[in-house]
Amino acid sequence: MALSPNQPGGPIWSTGRRGAGGRARFALRYFIQLLRTHPVYAGGYVIVAVVAIFALAAPLVAPYSPITADPSVYLLPPSFSHLFGTDVTGMDVLSRVIFAPRIDLAIALVGTGLSAAIGTFLGALVGYHQDARGVPRFLSGFVMRSADVLQAFPVFVFAIALVAVFGQSIASVVFAIAFVNIPIYLRLMRSQVMNIRRMRYVEAAYVSGMPDSYIIRRHVVPNAIAPVLAQLSVNIGWSILLTAGLSFVGAGVRAPTPEWGSMIATGFPNIMTGQWWPSLFPGLALAVTVYGFGIIGASIEFMADPRRRRTLANAGGPIRDPGE
Amino acid sequence: MGTLRYIGGRLLFLVPQIFGIVLVGFLLVKAVPGDPATLMLGPMATPDSIAKLRGELGLDKPLPVQFIIYINRIAHGDFGTSWQTTQPVVEDLAVRFPATLELVSFGLLVALAIGIPLGIVSATRRHRVLARIGDFYGLVAGALPDFWLALILIYVFYSLLGWMSSPIGRIDVMLLPPRTITGFYTIDSLVEGNWPAFRSSLAHLVLPVLTLGLVNAGPILKTTQSAMERMLQADFSLYARLCGLPEKLVMRHALRNALPSIVTIVSVLYGFLIGGAVLVEIVFSWGGAGQYAVQGVLNADFNPVLGFVIFSALFSLIVYLVVDLVYLAIDPRIRQ
Amino acid sequence: MTERDRLNVTRRTVLEGAAAVAAGGVLPASFPSIAAAAEETHTMVIAAPATPQSLDHEFDVSLGTIDSVGGLYDNLLEYEKVHDPKDPEALREDISVHTDRPYNLALKGKLAEKWEVSPDGTVGRFTLRQGVKSNWANELTADDVKWTWDRKLHLNGLGPFQTGVLGITKEEQIQVDGRYVISFHVPKPNPLLLKQMVNLSNPVYDATKCKQVSSSDDPWAHKFLENNTAGFGPYVVSQLTRGQQAVFKARADYYRGKPYMDTVIFKEVPTSASRLSLLQGGSVDIAQFLQPLEYITLTKASGVKVDAVPASFAIWIELNAKIKPFDNVKVRQAMNYALPRDDVLKAVYHGLADKQTGCIPIIYPNFTDKFWTYDTNLDKAKALLTEAGFKDGFKSTLSYNAGDPVQEPIAILYQTSLRKIGVEITLNKVPAATFYDFVTKREQPMIFYLDSPWVPDPGYSTQLYFNSKSYVDYSNYVNPEVDDLIKSGLETLDPKVRDETYTRVQQLVMGDAPWGFIVWPRYVLARRANLEGFTYYTSNNLRFQDFHR
Repeated sequence: MALSPNQPGGPIWSTGRRGAGGRARFALRYFIQLLRTHPVYAGGYVIVAVVAIFALAAPLVAPYSPITADPSVYLLPPSFSHLFGTDVTGMDVLSRVIFAPRIDLAIALVGTGLSAAIGTFLGALVGYHQDARGVPRFLSGFVMRSADVLQAFPVFVFAIALVAVFGQSIASVVFAIAFVNIPIYLRLMRSQVMNIRRMRYVEAAYVSGMPDSYIIRRHVVPNAIAPVLAQLSVNIGWSILLTAGLSFVGAGVRAPTPEWGSMIATGFPNIMTGQWWPSLFPGLALAVTVYGFGIIGASIEFMADPRRRRTLANAGGPIRDPGE
Repeated sequence: MGTLRYIGGRLLFLVPQIFGIVLVGFLLVKAVPGDPATLMLGPMATPDSIAKLRGELGLDKPLPVQFIIYINRIAHGDFGTSWQTTQPVVEDLAVRFPATLELVSFGLLVALAIGIPLGIVSATRRHRVLARIGDFYGLVAGALPDFWLALILIYVFYSLLGWMSSPIGRIDVMLLPPRTITGFYTIDSLVEGNWPAFRSSLAHLVLPVLTLGLVNAGPILKTTQSAMERMLQADFSLYARLCGLPEKLVMRHALRNALPSIVTIVSVLYGFLIGGAVLVEIVFSWGGAGQYAVQGVLNADFNPVLGFVIFSALFSLIVYLVVDLVYLAIDPRIRQ
Repeated sequence: MTERDRLNVTRRTVLEGAAAVAAGGVLPASFPSIAAAAEETHTMVIAAPATPQSLDHEFDVSLGTIDSVGGLYDNLLEYEKVHDPKDPEALREDISVHTDRPYNLALKGKLAEKWEVSPDGTVGRFTLRQGVKSNWANELTADDVKWTWDRKLHLNGLGPFQTGVLGITKEEQIQVDGRYVISFHVPKPNPLLLKQMVNLSNPVYDATKCKQVSSSDDPWAHKFLENNTAGFGPYVVSQLTRGQQAVFKARADYYRGKPYMDTVIFKEVPTSASRLSLLQGGSVDIAQFLQPLEYITLTKASGVKVDAVPASFAIWIELNAKIKPFDNVKVRQAMNYALPRDDVLKAVYHGLADKQTGCIPIIYPNFTDKFWTYDTNLDKAKALLTEAGFKDGFKSTLSYNAGDPVQEPIAILYQTSLRKIGVEITLNKVPAATFYDFVTKREQPMIFYLDSPWVPDPGYSTQLYFNSKSYVDYSNYVNPEVDDLIKSGLETLDPKVRDETYTRVQQLVMGDAPWGFIVWPRYVLARRANLEGFTYYTSNNLRFQDFHR
């Protein structure tokens, strides 16, 4: 009954035999091999690590205060004292770019985290009870139809309206992001769960009398996780873009909080008058960060695909699957 | 017969879905702070005149009553008036929706032209360099903020190089738009034989279409790549190769089987971009539907927002229906 | 050579070179229009932030509307024009007190030929010009004036304010004394009686046409006037596509003769950067409401001229007297000492504004700056705060309009400055729509406000903002002595008495510091160099009929 991870379409980690610690060590070895053979993926992790460092250690890294205006040096082009130049109130662009991840990353992580948690939970329930009768079936239908309605809503208008309703604050942006992303995880988890439910080992567990909650927790969720993780990573990047977009339109965080989108917005009028630096650098930082998250997502997808993982084992040599 | 039943079922489903969308939209829009009466009259208005206007607009009635009144009106095709433009919402959208559609359609065409070939090349991995470029591009494109890219393009091609005309609007300031048939300036001016309008609208489309095309080529590329890879490694492709079929034919078959995924992503993008192109619309002062809705939200102008939401939802749902029908046509397995 | 110069040269060179390239349809199709624009000199194209929402000024004070109304409708009277003292190419209204002229004003008749105010100051009688036709070929009679003013009493839009300042509450106070004679009867002598007839808000409608298009549920032709013209002005609206453009055509039968500009195209271009590029490229004649830095860029461009004249605009911060700690006058004064006005003038307005040193526009009669003491002085600010009991400072919130790009930088500069005296303020960005809601609700401790009183009169201006019963007293300022003084100044025609009264009012108001005084932004016009005739009006609008090449 133990299915090896290398069977096409099979579960990623075979169940039962090794326990959580073993699985983790197994994953780690594959991971390191992945980074060695595909340096592009390593690059992505490095980018995200750097951004995270900036977010955590910004006061130590940034040369100037990001929120103190100094009108005597407004709109200076990049120079040695201001590597990225200054903006219209004299604030140093580099410092603001370094401080921005605190907001952008925090909003994106919390927002997507919330939506992933709620979405996967609901999705697992709905997917698992898909064929049930009575109340669970009705509830499932209701949840799915609600998700349809939410997804048919133009995302941007929805997000702006939510921020307008709850007032301009970080919390309302987080809430807006969480809300618009829930349907994605809902659907993803649901389809994963529906696939896995059909697997023989789940049937076997059911037949042997395991309660639903045990089956979901022990068999369904761990095997459904990988696509969700991949989606999560990409989603974080997308949420950063959405936050920036909201700020660009004016529905984002308060001034003078450094945030990439609002920096681009404030710099927009200056592009025509020739001052390109207030908008260029935050946009570049934004693009690079989202790119980093995208790569992470791609690497997770890679790891989750058994066929691709096989190429790692073959290329690297001495990783033996302990399950064989 | 089954197909008709299927379509019928889906259309029937549209009704409660639209109702749900209207309900959510209505509640959302009413929750946005801002009193249209105060805004319309400006800061000099007296409290009396404001109260009178609120009564006229029906804003003083309880919420459920307002909702029922609204449902009743839209059932009769009356989507209300925008206080900003003082035009009926339907008329406003009749101009702005095609504007967005024109932009998004051309944008997606460019995205397809970039994304599909690159995606195929990356999947087959025949040219290593191009394949790498494809991989990289797929990830980068999705990371670029579209409004930022628009600004950069304007700066480079307009401020710096001077190659492009003034980057605002759909057509040159001095020219009148062609007579409205489809609402697409390019098509309408062609039909009219109005060459200056045609050239100008095409010229004004270049930068925004390039922006949307470059950014949205990313997801298309990635989907094409992953779908093609799966198809090329699938059993039927292996079998075809074993049987000695030329690689070109194998590719064609693989592509045909990868189509559903590509069609899906295009339909998702289409639905998304109707409202999602708003940032590009703002940068280029395009006068599109997304811009209209966003202005509505920010200015407590309810009718445009609801009208836009309903129409774009309808559009998305119809696109999905069409896509599902296309699936039925391409994929014999579903028909059973 | 600065970077901007380099850019301009590059673009010009490329444009000239590219004309020879003619690469199919991709190159700018605006080339034909540049050439054409040079020939179509009787057409004026204006790039504006928005097309007029409603042409019925009773309900709309938006920028597009007031620019349109100036060309579509005529008033009974106007001020004589003089040259601006600093800008020889610009004209302005002569709004000073002229003690040697009748009623102390330099007035000229427009729709009215003769005018007189009774010795006791309660009756103003106007004799209308004869033979004046509206754009519907109806002759101007006193009935038109009466209908216009009755409309204000019935419609509850802006009307009540315009009639209120004159003390007109009943239709009977407006009397038709003859086919061409109309009189206004006010309860007390009112110095605004004649000035109100110049006010952009009080033009004359063609009542004959309006009555024809009225219906029982729209007895005052509101629907018609939203989109059409029925008046005696030099232009009519020929096309109005909101969100795109409005086209105005000159009337050949205008009683003063057809204006130079035969066609005026009012184009909506929402982003200021785009308006800037249109003017630079030669596609438009006027680019309205640009950002200060953009105007500065234009001063270096060829073929473009920028006029910046002192105006009736002021931008300030309402210090809400009902919210602590702004109920304490010392705190309000401290807030004024802490305002970095010079930085704002330099970094935000780039010299296109003047420091605000008084509570009525500097160009208005009876203005005085002798009570101004609030030049930036952080030590004084700190001392005042300590006296008021806020030695360690306090926290508050400053709300600003997201739709006005100058407000955020000013707010940030102010925030940094206040931090130095221990005052921590949070900046609250409010979308344009909700912003006016915030202002009118008067629940915010500090909020920006930009406004201009249209009638050049100290009584009108102070009545608006400092009379405790005024709807526009958004700072909740209450001072009974000021209320009485303002009222008494509006009930006498004696210029000496008015001068003393309003000097005292300014003294009191400046001492009470209800506002954070910032700057007086100038009225700036960016135009093609060959476009002449710019005239500044205290209503801060353009009148198309002034322009010629």
